[in-house]
Amino acid sequence: MGTAFDTIAFKASACDGCGKCMTACAEAKQGASRISIVSGAGEGRFELSLCRQCGDPKCAMVCPAGALAKDEASGVIRWDANQCVDCLLCTAGCSFGGISVDSHTARVAKCDQCDGDPACVKACPTGALEWVTAGSVFKKYGDREDMFVPGLSGCQGCNSELIMRHAMRKIGRNAVLATPPGCIPGMGSVGYNGKTGTKVPVFHPLLTNTASMLAGIRRYYDRIGRKDIVVMALAGDGGTSDCGFHAVSGAAERGEKVLYVCVDNEGYMNTGMQRSSTTPFGSWTSTTPVGEHMRGKTQDAKNLPLIMVAHKCAYVATASTGYMEDLYAKLDKAVEASFRGFSYLHIYSPCPTGWRIPSSKVIEACRMSVDSNFVTLWEYTREGGLRFTRSPDRPIPIRDYVKLLGKYRHLDEAQLDHIQARVDEQVALLRMMAAEPVAAE
Amino acid sequence: MTQQRNVPDNLCPIAVEYTTMLTGDWRALRPVVDRDKCVKCATCWLYCPVQCIVERPTWFDADLATCKGCGICAEECPHQAILMIEEAEG
Repeated sequence: MGTAFDTIAFKASACDGCGKCMTACAEAKQGASRISIVSGAGEGRFELSLCRQCGDPKCAMVCPAGALAKDEASGVIRWDANQCVDCLLCTAGCSFGGISVDSHTARVAKCDQCDGDPACVKACPTGALEWVTAGSVFKKYGDREDMFVPGLSGCQGCNSELIMRHAMRKIGRNAVLATPPGCIPGMGSVGYNGKTGTKVPVFHPLLTNTASMLAGIRRYYDRIGRKDIVVMALAGDGGTSDCGFHAVSGAAERGEKVLYVCVDNEGYMNTGMQRSSTTPFGSWTSTTPVGEHMRGKTQDAKNLPLIMVAHKCAYVATASTGYMEDLYAKLDKAVEASFRGFSYLHIYSPCPTGWRIPSSKVIEACRMSVDSNFVTLWEYTREGGLRFTRSPDRPIPIRDYVKLLGKYRHLDEAQLDHIQARVDEQVALLRMMAAEPVAAE
Repeated sequence: MTQQRNVPDNLCPIAVEYTTMLTGDWRALRPVVDRDKCVKCATCWLYCPVQCIVERPTWFDADLATCKGCGICAEECPHQAILMIEEAEG
C-alpha cells in the first residue's frame, strides 16, 4: 500500500479558452493534442476533456486487446500501440472524453502526463491547469505514523491540527515536544488524568517559559550523549510573540539547539479570540470589536519571523499549509538546523472559528493569503541570507483575500488601502533583504 | 485518578494511555467519495486536518469514526470526486 498519483487539475473558473494547452500538447506529442478545451454551459465557460488516469479505468476494462493498462508506479494508463486493434471501444467506454482518435493516424491518442512534466500545464497562462503533486507527498510520507491519536478536539477544519499532524509525521518518534497553553494542548494533545494525545513525550510548559524549558532539555540530552533527539515546541502566536517572547528571544540569542515552530493563527483563539501582537490591522477579535468607536484592530501586526532573523538564528522560515511541499522541505531544513542552533519555523494557520470562515475554505484561505502576498514564503540562514521560496511577483489584490474572511467583513476602503499599503511595504522590505530577488522554485 | 501500572510511585503523574476520544459524532455533513471519479491523487489526505483519509485499492476514503465533516476534502478535490451530504439523509 501507500500509492497515490500526481494529477492534472483543471479550474474552469480560471480558463479563458485560449487553447495554448492544446498547442503545447500537439507540439510535445508531434500529433493531435491529447487535451481539449471545449465550450461549456454558458458564455465564456469552458470544460476540459483529458484523460484523468482513473483509479479504476473503464477504458482498460472495455479494451478487448489488453492494449490499455494502468502503470502501477506513475498511475498513467499506458496505451500499447502494438497490441491495439483499433476497435475504438475505449473512446466509447470513457465517460470523461479522455481518450480520442487522432485523425491523422486514425489511431487512439491519450495523455501520458509527459512523464510527470506536463507541457499543457506549463503553457497555461491563467493557472487554470495545475500539476497537483499531493500524490508524491503521500508516496513519501503516507506510510509514516501519525504521532497524534486519531481524535483530537480541534475545531472542524482546524489548520493547527493539520500542521501538528504533518509536522510530527515528518519528524517522527525521536522527539520531545513542548506545547505551551493554546489550541494545540487544548485540543487534547497533552491530555490529563494519565491520558495523552501524543505518541512522543509531550510537555505543557507555561506560556512564558517554553523556549527556556526546551533549552534545559536539550542541554540534558547533550550531557548524556543523546544527539539524535529533536527538541521542539509547537506554540501559538501568543505564546511566541507576546507572553513567551522573552524566552524565545533569549534562547535564540544564546543559540540554544531547539526547533521552535510557531503556529500563527493571529490571535488567542483558544481562550476566545482575543487580539495578539500578530493580529493584523483591521481584524475583528473579541478585544478589538467592531462598533461605533472601533473598527477592528487599530495597530499593525508585528512581523515575528523578521524579528527572529534579527536574532541571527541558525534557520528561520515562514510556511503555509497552502503550499505543503514547501512546508515539508522547510521542516527538513529546520530539524537539521536545530542540532546546530536555534531553528525557528513560522507557519501561518487560518482559524475557521476565530476568523469567521467556513471550515471547508481554510486551505483556500491559506493559498490566497500567499497569492496576495499577505503571507510571504521565505527562508533565512546565516550563510545564505534571506531567500524567497515562492516568488512575490504578480500578487492578487489583497481585497480578494480579505473578502474571504469574516473577521474583515466590516472593513472600509481606507482600511483596505491601509492593509494593501502595509503588505506592499512588507514585501518591499523583504525584497531589499533578499539575497536573490527571486529564488528558483 | 486511575491506578497507573508500570509507573514508579516517586514520579509525578505521567500519561500511560492514549486519549480515546472519537470526533466522528460531531459531524453534520459526511464526505462521500465517488469511486469512479477518484484518481487517487491524495489531495484529500494532504489537507485533511484530522488525517482520517484512508487508502483503498483504487480510491481514498474518509474514516468516519474521526472525520469531523469540515468539508476541506470536498472543497480541495481537483476532480470533484467528494460530495458532502447531510448526515440526516442517511
